[in-house]
Amino acid sequence: MKHHPLHISDVDLLLEADGELSRRRGGQIRAHLAECWSCRARRVELEDTIAHFVRAHEASLDGELPSDDSGRAMLAARLRRLGESGNAPGLQSPFRGLSAQFAFGCLAVALLLTGVGIWKIYRTDTASAAINWRAVPDRNLTPGATRSVAARDVCASAPRQDWAVAATVKKRVLQEYGMDRAQAHSYELDYLITPELGGANDIRNLWPEPYSSTAWNAHVKDELEDRLHTMVCAGQVDLPSAQRDIANNWIAAYKKYFHTDKPISGAST
Amino acid sequence: MDASSQDSAVLSFPATALSPPSAASTTLEEEVMEFFVQFRKPVLRYVCGLGATVHDGEEIAQEVFLALFRHLCWGRSRRNLRAWIFRVAHNLALKQRFADQKAHARTAGGEFLMETRIDPEMDPEQRMLHLQRQWRLLAVVNVLPEKDQCCLRLRAEGLRYREIARALNISLGAVSISLTRSLARLQSAAKAWI
Repeated sequence: MKHHPLHISDVDLLLEADGELSRRRGGQIRAHLAECWSCRARRVELEDTIAHFVRAHEASLDGELPSDDSGRAMLAARLRRLGESGNAPGLQSPFRGLSAQFAFGCLAVALLLTGVGIWKIYRTDTASAAINWRAVPDRNLTPGATRSVAARDVCASAPRQDWAVAATVKKRVLQEYGMDRAQAHSYELDYLITPELGGANDIRNLWPEPYSSTAWNAHVKDELEDRLHTMVCAGQVDLPSAQRDIANNWIAAYKKYFHTDKPISGAST
Repeated sequence: MDASSQDSAVLSFPATALSPPSAASTTLEEEVMEFFVQFRKPVLRYVCGLGATVHDGEEIAQEVFLALFRHLCWGRSRRNLRAWIFRVAHNLALKQRFADQKAHARTAGGEFLMETRIDPEMDPEQRMLHLQRQWRLLAVVNVLPEKDQCCLRLRAEGLRYREIARALNISLGAVSISLTRSLARLQSAAKAWI
């Protein structure tokens, strides 16, 4: 776009249209526009181009976008989980107000100490760590979730129904646990609180539980679930207690209700 | 996608064993949700303009607002949050593109144009002309240098020059020159069609 040197430059024309000029410079430009038809015509063309681009830009995607609600619900759940997990860094950074170098130094020392600690723990209790590593879910990701049901409701339904999990939910759970590429036959996407005990079909109640890589595996947990269901229906344990025990630590619950320190069935490996 | 939306009667468990989010955290959650409502669509449009698919764009938008929540939780600067949001979105979109080269498939632009904003009074011929004009315009935009595309798209989302400069980590002068250059290209292309 060539123009007479006495006219307004394209850059200034756009800056003025966008309100980005100083008051004084803006005034000068507007004064020029008031008397120069040529520059006014250029300004109109510029506005036309902007209008056409904006319409095309907005139309390029609007019809494709999924509904706002699904994204909103997902973000709300993820924020809630972040807040509950305490990963919301105590609402204050521990290094706030310190110099970046000092903070980095502290972080390096902390990491070193943590590494040494982990190594010592690993050395002294390797076996126990291996057993519990994946056998219990990450509390931050899978705290457990229940439906509003009473004991009579869970006892009215036959145990071991098929509670299908949506593929999208399954994918999400695997992503959260960093197991996207895990072999499908090596784990069961299990409910922490089984639906037979009022557990909800909710991402907070699901985790990928190994079938055989640990002694405390999915088959062993199934035994506990059946035992608890029987005990709840027989009135030997109240439903909230059963839910709490299995959600807090199902292995501890197994030991408590089976009166043993190791899995008793042949299901364990 | 989230199973929690399937069952409105779901209770978080166990309510007593887990420490509930603090009041400050809840307030921040609400604040972030408000930002999400306000900026989801602009962020999506922007990252899709950078080559992300709508699905990836949704994921990036989620990550952006989770990052915003952490940013606010850490008590970091609240100055110019709009530019901050787009800067994070920009970086995530580039990262995504690097990870998935297929994302660049979205270049023609025309096939994604929707007719939702076309005047219903137009006859079929006018509609076709209108769509063709938009396709051509987007085709010109898509062959602009990437920095120019970014400036143009951020400006179309309402960011001021200062915010664009911050989001893209370039100078104010560079923003101004980039926008002028891009609009000149669009203008001359439009004149050539007429």
